[in-house]
Amino acid sequence: MTSDVMISASGLTKQFGSNRALDNVTFDVTRGEVVGFLGPNGAGKSTTMRVLTCFLAPTAGTATVHGFDVFEDPLAVRRSLGYLPQRAPLYSDMSVQEYLLFAAQVRGMDESTFKSRLSKVIEVCGLAQTLTKQIAHLSHGYRQRVGLGQALIHDPPILILDEPTSDLDPNEKAEVLRYIKDIGENRTILLSTHNLAEVEDSCARAIIVSKGRVVADGALDEIRSTTGRVRYVVAVDEKVAEGSHKPPSARELQGALDALKGVRGSKELPTDEKAHRFELSGAQDSDLRAELYRLMVQKGWTLLELRRDAQSLDAVFRELTRGDEELDRGRPVIDDDEDDDDSAENSDDKE
Amino acid sequence: MSPMMTIAKREFRSYFDSPLAYVVICLTFLLLGLAVFWVGGFWKVDRASVHLLFQYMPVALAMLIVPVVTMRSMAEEKRSGTLEMLITLPVKDSDVILGKYFGALGLVLILVLATALYPLAMFWAPWNLGPLDMGPVFSGYVGLVLFSCTAVAIGLLISSLTDSQAVAFFITFFVLVVLWFIGSAAEHVDKEWLANALMYVSFQSRLDGFSRGLIDTRDVIFFLSAMVLALVMAFRALERRRWV
Repeated sequence: MTSDVMISASGLTKQFGSNRALDNVTFDVTRGEVVGFLGPNGAGKSTTMRVLTCFLAPTAGTATVHGFDVFEDPLAVRRSLGYLPQRAPLYSDMSVQEYLLFAAQVRGMDESTFKSRLSKVIEVCGLAQTLTKQIAHLSHGYRQRVGLGQALIHDPPILILDEPTSDLDPNEKAEVLRYIKDIGENRTILLSTHNLAEVEDSCARAIIVSKGRVVADGALDEIRSTTGRVRYVVAVDEKVAEGSHKPPSARELQGALDALKGVRGSKELPTDEKAHRFELSGAQDSDLRAELYRLMVQKGWTLLELRRDAQSLDAVFRELTRGDEELDRGRPVIDDDEDDDDSAENSDDKE
Repeated sequence: MSPMMTIAKREFRSYFDSPLAYVVICLTFLLLGLAVFWVGGFWKVDRASVHLLFQYMPVALAMLIVPVVTMRSMAEEKRSGTLEMLITLPVKDSDVILGKYFGALGLVLILVLATALYPLAMFWAPWNLGPLDMGPVFSGYVGLVLFSCTAVAIGLLISSLTDSQAVAFFITFFVLVVLWFIGSAAEHVDKEWLANALMYVSFQSRLDGFSRGLIDTRDVIFFLSAMVLALVMAFRALERRRWV
């Protein structure tokens, strides 16, 4: 390998009947990167990963993994990557060790290599206690670990992980993310999720897909600033005001805030009985804090909180992928993206 | 070990991890014993012949063993999603199909060969009921093995077309039973060409010769080509996932 591009997708398009699951998806992942692949359910994350692992063939476009073409050399592609499909489907009638041995044997690994790799995998994935247990009896978190273990057994340079943390409880999630961080030190990882906090924890770069298209690709800070907005949080005391002034009602306050120059929208945030709290958004290159301060002084209101930060990744994500949900619900389901929907609901419930 | 053999071994072993294999083996021996010695009237015939065994065993294969053994091969993998895990390992699609095929066939053949215990027990030890003509016994088993190879391939094909074990079971059952009895239907058909065609594809009429000691190349080739055809179609069915 002379080039440092480990995964390269160019113009990937996948048509399921009349439904276009991928539309000209193009991106590169270079050596050592940990990239978060983000998007609402049904946006095409799993489909992209299935194309990269040669499980599906794209309708148009090409992809190479570790320099091998997914059309011409699917076996070489699969040899150089470890893949964890969504929900870690494993043979539940096998024990953990049997399963890992099976994966190693299919990959043509000999006995002694397997033994040395196994001890590594046990250490990284924390499987020492469960090695002889049947997979059917494992919790979902442990199954994910076994799935990660089989993806790592042959020490691949590239890992593709499809929602490795869905369906996990917060502790398990944190664990799996920690493993990914450990593993990612000298590997290229493409990891899909719809949970943004995970991306912020474990990835430096994110690719956001929506309706089969790449809508953002870059470092997290870059993506945060793509929408060109800044977020402010303002809280005003609703009981006490300066001197003879009266404290504002929520509507009065919102009206005053909206009237400020440069405010592009406001939203009331939930609070206790003591204060009104609003979220404002303003243009990227302006600063409304001085204006806000002057407004408070002029009206004699008590300012309890004033904060300015870059727009949250969450908000960027929602903005970039708006309208996707409706489209997805009406979409004829071809692969298990159908499962996606309930897993999303489940994980949303937990958070 | 090649990937194909690894898959076949896993498949074969997995039958014994569930009660399924044991249930099928016990049930087969029970039903076959009842059929041969009670319904079929082994004692009334009063001849040193295991012709009855070759008459009932294919029916047991078609109606019970093969549908049960092959129903989950591909269907279960598709339903549970493990197929994706399996196929994204560095294996060819043909390795998957052949591995699954040999895994299932292994179990079926063990059962078929185990039925040799009946003639062995009756005519050799502990009982020696009379001199048995070994020719038809040998050719009968050749026929049974060929029939098993074909039937398992058909079962695998049907299993790879659905992701429900139950559907796979019933369709395999139906197809094999029809292919078995279709020759009897030929007797009630007026048109000669149709009767000939039915006789041609009937597994029963194809196996008839074997149980009488006749190994006809045409029959051997019939079974082998049906087997290859079913396997190629199963392979295509698996490959189809990539394009739709």
